[in-house]
Amino acid sequence: MMVRETTLHAKDVKTTFQPVLVTKWLLITIAIGFLGIFIVVPLIAVFSEALNKGIQLYFAALTEPDALSAINLTLLTAAITIPVNTLFGVLAAWAIAKFEFRGKNILITLIDIPFAVSPVIAGLVFVLLFGSQGLLGPFLEANNIKIIFGVPGIILATIFVTFPFVVRELLPIMQEQGTEEEQAAITLGANGWQMFFRVTLPNIKWGLLYGVILCNARAMGEFGAVSVVSGHIRGLTNTIPLHVEILYNEYNFTAAFAVASLLALLALLTLILKSFVEWKTNKH
Amino acid sequence: MSNKRKQHRVLPGFGLSMGYTLIYLSLIILIPIAVLFLKATTISLAEFWETVTETRVVASYKLTIYTSFIAAFVNAIFGTLIAWVLVRYEFYGKRIIDALVDLPFALPTAVAGIALTTIYAPNGWIGQYFESIGIKVAYTPLGIMIALTFIGLPFVVRSVQPVLQDLDQQYEEAAATLGANSLQIFVKIIFPAIFPAILTGFALAFARALGEYGSVVFISGNMPMKTEIVPLLIITKLEQFNYAGAAAIAVVMLVFSFVLLFLINFWQWKTTKKYQVC
Amino acid sequence: MGITIKDVSKAFGTFQAVKNVNLDIPTGDFVALLGPSGSGKTTLLRLIAGLEGLDSGGIYFDDVDYTYKTIKERNVGFVFQNYALFKHMTIFDNIAFGLKVRPRKTRPSKNEIAEKVNELLKLVQLDHLANRYPSQLSGGQRQRIALARALAVEPEVLLLDEPFGALDAKVRQELRHWLREIHQKLNITTIFVTHDQEEALEMADTVVVMNNGEIEQIGSPEEVYQKPESAFVYSFLGRVNEFREPERVGESEIISYIRPHEIVLRKISQGNSIISEVSHIHVIGSTVRIELRRHDTGDLFEAEMSIEQYQNMSPVKKGDILHAEFKNIVVFNSENKITHLANSGIRNSLKSKLI
Repeated sequence: MMVRETTLHAKDVKTTFQPVLVTKWLLITIAIGFLGIFIVVPLIAVFSEALNKGIQLYFAALTEPDALSAINLTLLTAAITIPVNTLFGVLAAWAIAKFEFRGKNILITLIDIPFAVSPVIAGLVFVLLFGSQGLLGPFLEANNIKIIFGVPGIILATIFVTFPFVVRELLPIMQEQGTEEEQAAITLGANGWQMFFRVTLPNIKWGLLYGVILCNARAMGEFGAVSVVSGHIRGLTNTIPLHVEILYNEYNFTAAFAVASLLALLALLTLILKSFVEWKTNKH
Repeated sequence: MSNKRKQHRVLPGFGLSMGYTLIYLSLIILIPIAVLFLKATTISLAEFWETVTETRVVASYKLTIYTSFIAAFVNAIFGTLIAWVLVRYEFYGKRIIDALVDLPFALPTAVAGIALTTIYAPNGWIGQYFESIGIKVAYTPLGIMIALTFIGLPFVVRSVQPVLQDLDQQYEEAAATLGANSLQIFVKIIFPAIFPAILTGFALAFARALGEYGSVVFISGNMPMKTEIVPLLIITKLEQFNYAGAAAIAVVMLVFSFVLLFLINFWQWKTTKKYQVC
Repeated sequence: MGITIKDVSKAFGTFQAVKNVNLDIPTGDFVALLGPSGSGKTTLLRLIAGLEGLDSGGIYFDDVDYTYKTIKERNVGFVFQNYALFKHMTIFDNIAFGLKVRPRKTRPSKNEIAEKVNELLKLVQLDHLANRYPSQLSGGQRQRIALARALAVEPEVLLLDEPFGALDAKVRQELRHWLREIHQKLNITTIFVTHDQEEALEMADTVVVMNNGEIEQIGSPEEVYQKPESAFVYSFLGRVNEFREPERVGESEIISYIRPHEIVLRKISQGNSIISEVSHIHVIGSTVRIELRRHDTGDLFEAEMSIEQYQNMSPVKKGDILHAEFKNIVVFNSENKITHLANSGIRNSLKSKLI
C-alpha cells in the first residue's frame, strides 16, 4: 500500500516536468533499441533462416532420423538431470536455509562453482576422470563401461552445469520464510514428511517450478560441456545443440536453423513460464 | 557448544539433507574438480609453466580477458539503463521487454552463436552495413565482444533492478526539497545506492564471459593468436590428446574464476552487512 | 498438568539465556513470564515446549521426566509471536491441521474434524471466517485463529509467546479479557510471555519476573507489586522514583525507591516533608503526574494523584513550592535485602539514606 502510494506520487511529480519527459522517452528508446539489436534481431534471424527455404524443408530437417535421435537424447538427458538436481536442490536448500551451522557460506560458495566454471572445463573434468586416459579409464575399459563419448558422460556433464539452478532459486525463498510455520506444524504433531509436504512445499512451489524451468532450459541447451564429452557420434551421442553445430559446420544452414528454432521455441516457452511464475508469486 | 551434548534441532531432516548435499556435492563437483588439479600436477612445474605461458596461450588469455571486460562494461552501462527504464517508467509493452531481458539465460548458446554469426557476417543483416564502412564484425574480436555482450546482458539488469525497486524514494524527495536537480539526485543519491549492484552484475557478466564457449566459437573464426579464446584452446589440446596440457590451462582459468567468485561473494556479504547496520 | 522446572540452563554461544531456573507450576495455573527483552523468558517458554534443547537441568510434567521428550510427545499448544499461520491454507484447514496429521489409527473422521473445528471457531467467535485465508484477517483475528489451532490438538499445556505483542492497544485490551475467559472455561495450564507489566498483572494468577536469565520473583500479581523482593522487581513493576546515594569508600551504592502515588504533596509543611518545586504538571485522563525538584539535593522526582485530589489542591502551577511527604521508602542494600521505611521517624533515615 505504502509503496504504491509513493510511486504514484513520484510519477505525478515527474510527468509534470517537461524535460524529464524527454529524458524518459530518450532512455526508453535507447533501452528498446539495445534490446532490439541484441535480442530480438537474433531471435528473428533464427526463425527467418529456418523458414527461408520453405516449410517443407523445415519439417524435413526436423524429422530426419539424426535429428529425431538428437531430440530423443536431449529429452532423456533432461528427464534424468532435472529430478536428480531438483532433489538435491530441495535438500540442500532445506539444510542451508533452516539450520545454523558452521561453514555455511563456504558451502554456498562451493555450490556456486558450476556458475564460475567454464562449461568446457566442466566437460574436461569428466574426461579426465572417466576418459580412456583418465583416472578411472583403465578400470572402466576393463569392465566395458563407456562413460565418455557416450550417453552417461553427456548426462554427467549436464548435471554438473545445471547443478546450482534449483538451490539458488529456493534458498532466498526459504531463508525469507524462516522456520516458524514449520515449528508450528511440529508443535501440532506433524511428522517430518507431513511438515514438508503440507507446509514447506506449498510455500516454495512457485520458486521450485522456476528453478526447474531454468534448469530444464540449460539442460536441453547445454553446448560446451556436452560437446567435450560427447564424441559427436551422429545418431548416438548428439544432443540437439550438437546436431545444430554439425549441420552448421556442414554449411547446411537451413537445417541448422530449423533445429535451432526448436531450442529458440523452448527458450520462448521458458520465458513465458517464468513470467507466469513471477506473476503468480507477486500475487501472493 | 556442539561437544556438550547432541545438538538439539527442532526441525527434522538436518542429517539427511546435509549428508545428501555433501555427498552429492563431492561426487558431482568437488572430486571431478580435484581430479583436474591432480592431472595438472602429473607434469613437472617447468612443463606446466611452459604450457601456460606459451605465446599462443598467452594471446588467448589476453583476448579472452579483454573481450570479456569490454562486453561486461558495455553491459554495466546499458544494463543499468535498462533496469532504470524498467523500474521507473511505465510504457506499453514493458512486461514483454522485461521478459525478453532473460532470453540470453534461456536461449542455448549454440543457437545464439549461429544466429549472431549469420547477422554479423559480411553479408548479414547488420554485418553488411559495417562491411560498407570497412569494419569486419564476425570472425574478429569485435564479433566475440558482441557474443559476450549478448550472453552477459541479463546479469547487470537483474542485479540492479531489485535494488532500484527497493530504493526508498523518500531520499530522492528529500534531496529535491533540499534543492538538488535531477542530475545531482542521480549522481549523489541514486548512483551510490545502486553502484554495488552494478559492480556485482559486472563481475557476474565478466565471469560468465571468461568461460563462454558456445556463442563465441561460431562468430570468432578461431584463428590462433587472433581470435582463439581460452576454452577453445582447451578443446584443441584435448583433441590432440594432450590431457595434461588441457588440464594445466584449465587450472589457470579455474583459479582466476574462483578468485573472482570469491570476490563477488565476499563483496555481496560485505555490502549486505553494511546495509544491515544502517 | 503441572510443570516442574529444575535447575534449567541454556546458553546460545557465549550468551547465557537461562541460568539455573527453578519453577513449579500447578495444574490449571495461569502464569505470566514477565521481563525485559533478553531476560530469557521466551527461551524458557521454548524450552518447556521442546523448541529449544536445554544444556542442563530437567523439565517434568506431573513429575514425569519430559526433559528429552520430543515436541510431539509433550502435547503442548504453542502460539507463536507472529502467529505462524499457514499462509496457503484456509482458516478451517489451519485449525484442522493438527487433527489431519494424526496417524490413521487415532485420526478423527472428516465429520468429526469438521465438528471440532467449527466448535473451536465458535469458541474464538470467528465461525464466519472459516473459508478465508490468513492474509485476509486482521491481527486480532489471526491471534484468535492461532489460539484455536493450538487448542485443536487438545493440549495439556498452553504456551503463548508475546500473544498480544503485535496488536494495537484497544484490540489488546479486548483480547486480554477474552483469553482470561477461555482459560477459565478450559482450565488448561497456561503460560504466556510478556514484557508488559500491566498485561502480566491484569491477566495472570502467578507472575514470574525474570531478569538476565534468572527468576527474580514468583508470586501473585498483588504480591509482586506490593512486596517486591528485589530492586529489579520494584523498578520493573510500575512507575518508581529512584534516589541514589553517592558512593562512600568501602561501601556499595545504596538505592532507595518510592512509588509516585506514595508521595503526598501539600501546600503547607506537615510532618516530615521535603520542600520541592513544581517543574511540570501532566494531566493524563483521571490521574495527574507532577514532576518536582527537591530543594535539598536538586533531584527530580514524580508524584502521582487522582484528578480529584489535584483539583482539591489547586491551583498548582509550574514554579510553585510544595511539601512532599514520602510515605513508603524502600531501600535495597547490596545483598538485595529490603527495608521499608514508614513515614514516622523518617527524618533521620531520610537524611542518612537519601541526602
